[in-house]
Amino acid sequence: MARNKSILTEAKQIERAVTLINLGARLQVLESETDLSYERLLRLYKEVAGKSPSKGQLPFSTDWFMTWQPNIHSSLFLNIHEYLNKSAALDEIDNVIKAYQLYTEQISTYGLEPLLSVTRAWRLVKFVDNGMLTMTACSKCGGHYVTHPHEIARHFICGLCNPPARAGKGKLAGSLQLSRRDCDQTHTDHAAPTAH
Amino acid sequence: MSPEQILAEIREANLSYLMLAQSLIRTDREQALYRLGVSEETAALIGTLTPAQMMKIAGGSTLLCRFRMDDDIVWNLLTSHGKGAANDGLSRLHASILLAGRHSEAA
Repeated sequence: MARNKSILTEAKQIERAVTLINLGARLQVLESETDLSYERLLRLYKEVAGKSPSKGQLPFSTDWFMTWQPNIHSSLFLNIHEYLNKSAALDEIDNVIKAYQLYTEQISTYGLEPLLSVTRAWRLVKFVDNGMLTMTACSKCGGHYVTHPHEIARHFICGLCNPPARAGKGKLAGSLQLSRRDCDQTHTDHAAPTAH
Repeated sequence: MSPEQILAEIREANLSYLMLAQSLIRTDREQALYRLGVSEETAALIGTLTPAQMMKIAGGSTLLCRFRMDDDIVWNLLTSHGKGAANDGLSRLHASILLAGRHSEAA
């Protein structure tokens, strides 16, 4: 009986691993979230993705989530993740997978590139679990955004209500573009250079 | 619109909504909760409706689905996209962050 059960569990884990590989997850995510051996995961990865997994360490810094554009993407993902977390009883990793699918879907309807990779999304959830990052409500719009813990909620204003001076200047395709003129109209107190 | 026409249109909209909701719930329950903004109990109910039940429920004089953007901030973000095309993506993104957060409070 125990044997039957383990095969079922394994089938479920392989299915999860395949979904994660298709979403572009790094091997370290698979190793952490399944009980499958490294060798089997490697073989699975090559079979599904048709190439060897990228090597090297995972990004480990929380700083990336604090920069303007990544913060917006991360906040959207985390809001969806929290929503699923509260409304449905799911295993943690399935929650990440489903929230990530909803996130990429939503981002693509806006004609943007998903800046947040599934590996980073998974990492973000871990950071929040460890208390290294948290969500703080913006004092202007009331939305919840990824921040360092102990952000003073009363004074916190999100990057969307108050974009930094250089925000949206990137010419990268699929990135957020911000026309400064509109921005100044809505935030007249914002003394940003208007040079284009 | 004549009263008969109104009733027919409402029935049509209700039916489309119920059918879409049901197929979303059957495809992926958890993601459907997010998309529809309904509770798990409601989702379970809609998921098990038979076609006959659906026809019956749809045939009222009121709509079954409710408007989800009932506050000024989200509404302004979504409607002001005409003034600056460059900011369109940004305000819609802003609105979706607010909506996703709002629902997590309601659920």
